[in-house]
Amino acid sequence: MGFIGIALSALADEVVFRANAPKQVIAGRPFQLSYTVNQRSRDLRAPEFTDFDVLSGPYTSTSSSTSFVNGKRSSSFEQTYTYTLMATKEGTFTIGPATVKVDGENIQSNGVRIQVLPADQPQQTQQPTQSTRNNQNNQSTQSASSQAASSENLFVRTIASKTRVHEQEALMITYKLYFANVDVAQLTNNTKLPEFTGFLKQDLEQGEIQTELEHYNGRNYQTAVLYRTILYPQHSGDIKIDPANFEAVLRVQVQQRARSIFDDFFGSYTNVTKMLTAPGVTIHVSPLPTGKPAGFSGGVGHFTLTPSISQTEIQANEAVTIKLDISGSGNMKLLKTPAIDWPEGFEPYDPKVTNNFKTTTSGVSGTKSIEYLAIPRSAGEYTIPAVNFSYFDIDSKAYKTLSTPEYTIRVKRGAGESSAISDQPSVVSYTQKEDIKQLGSDIRYIDTKAPKTTNQKSQITNYNLIWLWYVIPLIIAIVLLIVLRKQIQEASDLTRMKYKRANKVAQKRLKAASAALKANDSNTFYAAIESAAWTYLSDRLSIPTADLNKENIASILRQKGVSEALIKEVMDVLSTAEFARYAPTTDHTMDDLYTATTNLINNLEDQKI
Amino acid sequence: MRRFIICNLLLVICHLTFAQSDFDIANTAYAEGKYEEAATLYQSLIDEQPDAVLYYNLGNARYKQGELAQAILNYERALRLKPNYKDAKYNLVFAQSRITDNIAEQDFFLLAWTRAVRNCLSEHTWWVLSISLFILALIGLLLFLLGRETWIRKTAFHTAWIALLFSLIAGLNAGSLHQRDTLRNEAIITQGIVNAKSSPDRSGTDLFTIHEGTKVTIRETLGEWSNVRVGSNEGWIRSSCLERI
Repeated sequence: MGFIGIALSALADEVVFRANAPKQVIAGRPFQLSYTVNQRSRDLRAPEFTDFDVLSGPYTSTSSSTSFVNGKRSSSFEQTYTYTLMATKEGTFTIGPATVKVDGENIQSNGVRIQVLPADQPQQTQQPTQSTRNNQNNQSTQSASSQAASSENLFVRTIASKTRVHEQEALMITYKLYFANVDVAQLTNNTKLPEFTGFLKQDLEQGEIQTELEHYNGRNYQTAVLYRTILYPQHSGDIKIDPANFEAVLRVQVQQRARSIFDDFFGSYTNVTKMLTAPGVTIHVSPLPTGKPAGFSGGVGHFTLTPSISQTEIQANEAVTIKLDISGSGNMKLLKTPAIDWPEGFEPYDPKVTNNFKTTTSGVSGTKSIEYLAIPRSAGEYTIPAVNFSYFDIDSKAYKTLSTPEYTIRVKRGAGESSAISDQPSVVSYTQKEDIKQLGSDIRYIDTKAPKTTNQKSQITNYNLIWLWYVIPLIIAIVLLIVLRKQIQEASDLTRMKYKRANKVAQKRLKAASAALKANDSNTFYAAIESAAWTYLSDRLSIPTADLNKENIASILRQKGVSEALIKEVMDVLSTAEFARYAPTTDHTMDDLYTATTNLINNLEDQKI
Repeated sequence: MRRFIICNLLLVICHLTFAQSDFDIANTAYAEGKYEEAATLYQSLIDEQPDAVLYYNLGNARYKQGELAQAILNYERALRLKPNYKDAKYNLVFAQSRITDNIAEQDFFLLAWTRAVRNCLSEHTWWVLSISLFILALIGLLLFLLGRETWIRKTAFHTAWIALLFSLIAGLNAGSLHQRDTLRNEAIITQGIVNAKSSPDRSGTDLFTIHEGTKVTIRETLGEWSNVRVGSNEGWIRSSCLERI
C-alpha cells in the first residue's frame, strides 16, 4: 500500500538530480561530493575527476519520509551517492555533470565549480578544522581556547574595492569576519559602524550570513561578510573612514580537569564575548575634471538614454508625453532630472519620475524613467528642442553627452474648440481680455447676394497712369488761360483801374464843380459834386453801382475800420449834396460844400482801405 | 459642324450657370453646417475672380470652423475690396474680440483718425474724388480770372482753393491706399503662438509673444524670416507663421 503511494507521488513529481559540493576546498584535504536524486535510480555514471583524487565512494544511501498534514499525506524519497575526493592542485576546477537512470531514462545533473585554496603554510602549527576539532585532545583544546582571543585567529578586515576614486564614483566597503580554530556562536547587535561622513551610502541587501573558505595571508579562514555598502564620495580630497566595531560571541570550552571520559564527551562550554575592531581606511577622492558641459546632470558612471514621445500629431488640449529612460549604473539617485524647454503655448506639468534601482556590488544600477507631460493649448507646428543629458564616464574619464532628437509636434485644432463656436454662444474661456464682453452673440450671416461678375472688370485696377487725369485738365486750363489772356487782362484791369482811378475821376468831377462854382451855376455844381462823391466811393470801395446806397457805404466803411467821424462826414456830404440839388438853401454855401467834398476825398485817400 | 457649335454653346451656358450656382452650392453647404466644403468652394471662386462678398463668406466659414486667423484674414481682404462693408466690419471686430492679443492702436490719435478716414473709401473712389475736385479747382481759377463782377471772382477764388485742398487730401489718401495694396505689408499671424526673436535665426533671444489672429506690419523680409512690428514691438518671426492680407 505504502509502496503504491510512493510510486504514485513519484510519478507525479519531477525528477530532480543535483550535485552538491563545497564551493571552496583546501588542497590536500578530503571533501565530499554528493549526487542526490528524488526517485529511485540506478546506474550512476560520474564524470571523470581529472583534477581530484577519489578517496572513496560512491556510497549509496536512501531515505524516505511520509507525513500527514491536515489529513493529506505527502511523502519524499531521496537517494544519495557520495564520493570523497581530495584536491591535488590549487585553482578553480569544474566537475562535469553526472548521469543516472530513472525508469530507463537518462537524467543529467548540474556541474559544480570548486575553488581549491592552497594548504595552510607549514609554519602554522595549528591546523584543526571545525570537523575535527571536537575530537582534539585536551591540550589542543586548551591551545584553541587560549588562542580564541588572538587576532590571528579572529579578526575583521575592512575591504575597500577602490581607494582612489573620482567624486561620485561608486566604491564598495566590505567588513569581513575571518576566523579559524574558533567557534563563533553568533554576532551581537552591538555593532558600531563609522559615520561615513562625506559619502552617500547605499546599503546592499544583506541576506543570511554565509561562511566561505578563504585563503588569506597563507592561512585558510572561514569568512563571513558582516556588512557591505556602496559609497559615493560627495567631495574631493582624502576622506577617512573611521574604524568599525563588531562584537562576536565565541563558544569556548571550559578549562577544567577531566574527571571522566564523559566530561570530555559531553564537554562544557561557555560563551565569551569579544570586541572586534575593523581598521579605518582612507579614500583618495579626486575631483571631476574641469569643463563640465552645460547640461551636466551630476551623473558619474555609465548611462544610456532612450527617449520616446507618445505622439507627434495631436489635437489642442490633448496631452503629449515625452519619456526619457536613463539606464545604466552609477550614482543614479543623484541624477538631476533634465528639463524640457517646452515652447510657448504648452502647459507643462511636473515630470513623473519612476526609479527602478538595484544595488549590486558594483554600484547602483537600474532605470530612471522620467515622464514629461504637457498640454498644447493652441494649434500650430511646434519644435521641442533636444534635451541634453551629460555625465562623467568613469571608464573613459571624460564627460559624455546624450541627446534626445528634436521633436516636431503638429497640433491640430481641438474638436471641442470648433464645436464651441458653432453650437453655443461664444463664451471665450481662455482669452484673458476683459475689455470686450460679447455674450450670446454670433457673427453675422453670409452674404447670399451673388457678386456681380462684370463690375470688377470695368473698375480700373492699374493706377500707375492716374497722374494723367491731373495733367490733362491742367494743360486744358493753361491753354484756356493763354487763349483768354486778353479777357483776363481786361477783367483784371477793370477792377484794378477803377480803384486806382477813383481819385483822378473824382478830381475831374471836382474841377467841373469848381468851374460851375465860378460861373455860379448851382445846378451843374451840385450835380458834379454828387457825381464825384458817389463815383469815388463806388470805385474806391468796389461797390457795384446797383448796390450803391448810403447804408451800404456806411457799413462797408465801418467794416474797413474807418473812424465814425469820417463816416459821419461822408454821410453829411452825400445828404447835403442830395438835398441841395433839389432844394437849394443858403445854409450851405456852394463854397463850403466844395471844400468839404475835397477834404473828404483827401481824407479817404489817406485811409488805407 | 453645326452640332459641334451647338454643343460648344451648351457647354458655355452650362459653365456660366454652373459658375453661378457654385456660389449657391457653397451657400447651401454653409447653411447646412458643412463649413469645410463651403470654404473650399468659396476659395475656388476667389481664385477665379476675387470679390469682397466671397472673402466675407469664406471668412465666415473659417470662423465657424474655428480658424480664427483665417477668418480675420478674409474679413480684412473683403474690406480691402469694399471698405464700407458693414457686415465684414462687424464680423472682423467680433472675431478680433476673440483673439488673445489685446493690441490697442497705440498710434497718435490724429494718425489713427486719418487712417480711419482713409479706410472709409476705396482707392478708386479716392482717385475719382481727387480728380473731380482738381478739375473743380481749375474751373474756379478760370472763373476767378475771367469774372468781371467782384462776387463772381470772390466765390470762384474761394471755391478754387478749397477744392484744391480737398483734392490734395483725397489724392494723398488714394496714394496711401495704393502704396498699402502694392506693398501688402500687413499680415495676420496664422500660428497659435509665435515667439518673436531678436535676430532672424532660431538662436535669437525671444523678445515677445504674439498669438494667432493678430495683425502685424512687415517691415523687412530676410530668407524665411520677416521683421514685423506690432504696436511698439519689433522682432523677427518665421514667414510661415503669417499670411499677408
